[in-house]
Amino acid sequence: MRSFAFWSLVVALLTYMTLPTIVVLMTSVNPTEILAFPPQGVSFDWYAKAVSYPDFQLAFKNGLIVTACASTLALIVGSAFAWLIHHYEFRGRGLLEGVLWSPLIIPHFTLGFGFLLLGGAFRLQQGYVMIVLAHMVLVMPFVTRAVHVSLANIDPALARAAANLGASPWQVLTRITLPLVVPGMAGGWLIAAVLSLTEFTASLYVTGSRTQTLPVAMYNYIREYADPTVSAISALLIIATTLIMLVADRTIGLRRVLAIDTH
Amino acid sequence: MTATPTQQANTFNPSPEAGSAVDIVRVRKDFGAAVGVADVSLTIAKGEFVTLLGPSGCGKSTLLGMIAGFVTPTAGRIVVDGADITGLEPYRRDIGMVFQSYALFPHMNVRDNIAFGLKMRKLPAAQVEQEVARAIAMMKLDGFENRRVRQLSGGQQQRVALARAIVIRPKVLLLDEPLSALDKNLRAQMQVELSELHRKTGLTTIFVTHDQGEALSLSDRIVVMNKGSVQQVATPIELYRQPANGFVASFIGEINALPPGRCEVKDGIASLVLPGAGPLVFPAMPAAGFAPGRQVRAFLRPEHVRPAAPGEAGPNIVTGKVDAHIYQGSHTITRVVVEGIGLVETRVTGSDIVAGAPVGAPLALAFDLGEAVLLDASE
Amino acid sequence: MLAKRPFFITFLAPAVLTAVILAAAIFEVLQYSVREFIPGSLNVGGFTLANFAALNKPIYWWVLADTFFISLLTAIFSLLASYPVAYALVRAKRDWVRSALVSLSITPLFTGEIVRTFSWMLTLGTDGFINSILRKLGLIDMPIQLMYTRFGVVVALVQFSMPVMIILLATAIAHVDRDCEKAAANLGASPTAVFWRITLPLTVPGILSGIVVVFAWTMSAFSTPQLIGGGKILMISNLAYLQGFSVLNLPFAATLSLIALVCALGSLALMKGVTSRIERRLAVH
Repeated sequence: MRSFAFWSLVVALLTYMTLPTIVVLMTSVNPTEILAFPPQGVSFDWYAKAVSYPDFQLAFKNGLIVTACASTLALIVGSAFAWLIHHYEFRGRGLLEGVLWSPLIIPHFTLGFGFLLLGGAFRLQQGYVMIVLAHMVLVMPFVTRAVHVSLANIDPALARAAANLGASPWQVLTRITLPLVVPGMAGGWLIAAVLSLTEFTASLYVTGSRTQTLPVAMYNYIREYADPTVSAISALLIIATTLIMLVADRTIGLRRVLAIDTH
Repeated sequence: MTATPTQQANTFNPSPEAGSAVDIVRVRKDFGAAVGVADVSLTIAKGEFVTLLGPSGCGKSTLLGMIAGFVTPTAGRIVVDGADITGLEPYRRDIGMVFQSYALFPHMNVRDNIAFGLKMRKLPAAQVEQEVARAIAMMKLDGFENRRVRQLSGGQQQRVALARAIVIRPKVLLLDEPLSALDKNLRAQMQVELSELHRKTGLTTIFVTHDQGEALSLSDRIVVMNKGSVQQVATPIELYRQPANGFVASFIGEINALPPGRCEVKDGIASLVLPGAGPLVFPAMPAAGFAPGRQVRAFLRPEHVRPAAPGEAGPNIVTGKVDAHIYQGSHTITRVVVEGIGLVETRVTGSDIVAGAPVGAPLALAFDLGEAVLLDASE
Repeated sequence: MLAKRPFFITFLAPAVLTAVILAAAIFEVLQYSVREFIPGSLNVGGFTLANFAALNKPIYWWVLADTFFISLLTAIFSLLASYPVAYALVRAKRDWVRSALVSLSITPLFTGEIVRTFSWMLTLGTDGFINSILRKLGLIDMPIQLMYTRFGVVVALVQFSMPVMIILLATAIAHVDRDCEKAAANLGASPTAVFWRITLPLTVPGILSGIVVVFAWTMSAFSTPQLIGGGKILMISNLAYLQGFSVLNLPFAATLSLIALVCALGSLALMKGVTSRIERRLAVH
């Protein structure tokens, strides 16, 4: 009886967590303009409208450019940094770590505002360079963390064994360390890409009308209109990110990358 | 550091001997203020199987790390085949090593693990294949070439690690507690295989262990270390029969340490006078450590103390009270408290003594003093 | 000679460059916060502390207080709602139940704040899901006001913060030594007593870090109060955006952004102190 009550509570809480998602998916296939429940049928008109809306097309393209550049840069710099802090102690390491982890704590609007002002100082405001830099800084901690966890899981004797068998530091890096952290790097890159693709607050500050990313375009649309076009876009984003995360979890053990250990 | 004069020829030679495989010359490693390895010198002959033996933290693994190049010595030189390698990077040393965790590369199969060192040496593919096949045959790994290392048993992983280390034809083979991860039966089997491998390859081998059984059964010579310094370098038999100091005596096997006494010679008979008990008489003039008037401690193995026969009398028979019987199957260790001497252990085959002398009962013991090791009492 | 630190400079340089860019961006905020505002111009004047002095008005104090209040409510309700889910996630007997619970509770983290906020707008709106359902069931005649209320903002923020809270709590619960629970049961504790006297106290460090992380996170929330609050509920983030983009008072916007940063850093520093003290007392780990 106690167990039944507990599991009812868990199911209720999970319903609360997933309700908005279900509502969005429902409205996205609702044929009427008014957001009415229950839906009056099934239609994919809103999807057609969303996909053909020029602002969303441009924003999607911008988003892909920014995400590809930012998450890849974050992957390169973050992996190198993770390797560095895994292997070396050096003066100023604490400061460097503090600065590079800080985007996890700094409010995104503060950071976005900072990059806006920085862009203004270099006449780069609303340009791709500043957007990519802002996104890269925001997602890098996740890559660094994922790679760092992978590195920590490698038996340190492996690198020594390779050196003992004649592998130079470069060969140890490319033939032993790199193959073993590829899953961590891939997981970190995926998380970074998803976070960058869906990042809104900082993007609102650093993008302009020609460079806005998808979430910013959605925000601008919501403020103007109240039809389910955004539901369709949202549904597409939910499905895409969920699929990416499921694939990531199946192939590389996302739980380990996120350090969610349950058993 | 203590060593008998005969061993000093081996231990204290500062100039590399011709024909030696490894010369360790006054090597020292400090960790901050703490001493990891204190001025160790050691010469190892070509083809020799030498064991570094000691409790954990004695410096044996640090010394091995310095030979492999993973630890930089604070002072001293390491010479292999006449070439000073002290400052050489690990990957230029040509020294094979088997790691305690085996350190097999988890993203490679058995063949690629074994071939790794040869590929690093940029050998032609055909030769790599041939050498790997030879190593696989030698380590009885046929049929496992394409297995992932995670799919192997402990013993198989051990063999892959050995094959990987010997296939590069190293100048020296280092074994860092390679048997510690195996269960007891497998360990005994791998001891035999290690011994065979050494015989077949003739590789100069340095083996690190804290297990005296492994050390005694495998080694040509054993280097006993404690707190960073070498206590004794000797063959297994010498080490057991002539320990150089109290640490070695009590670290290798079981031994009874008698209280300090004075050496005396009267009418051509040598004896040890213990203040709290009567004099103990040597059957013949002892060879090592005995000098009239000298204060010494006698160390006596439990197998050299036996229960006296009923009615037996003589100078080396003392009576004490049985403290405990420790039944071990093939033999029994009986602990007896003797007034003036202290706790004495005797080792008796079988279990008869358990019934014959219950705990608390008096028991007469006969000391075979001819087998005693005499060490300076001031030590 | 031994190459002591291979790749050191190569790997360090890009990280340092990134850190410098990040620091420069934050420095710009700091710099603007001490500049004079020139009305009608995006250029700024000389150095001044006037922006900080301007903060001392009841309306700004109210925004700050509201930000704290909403963050605190969110943290507490997030904890209450997440604990049962985290407990089920760790302790469920079947593997597939655990996997399903992990997926269900983690995936919302990756859909992005704009999608999640929009979803809540659809759910809470006057013609939204909840009002439609309640009306269909005949429970209400007139739609109840959920949008543009503090209640609506908190409901959405709690749902946002639950994945993070669940991760932190699940980790703490997974670290509880099951033998301690068995020992308590063996000594006569009922399952309820075991939970309240053993499991819950042992997860206090996780609870505390969860509360503070969610609190700090919510303090910097922007899109939820922006869209669901709709200008009626102002948090510090919305005020900063308003000052920057509507009033075009960049120095004051910088000052507010800086205050938000200080609050976030401050609450995390507080957490470090409190959790380490409690962990020491409990001697967990």
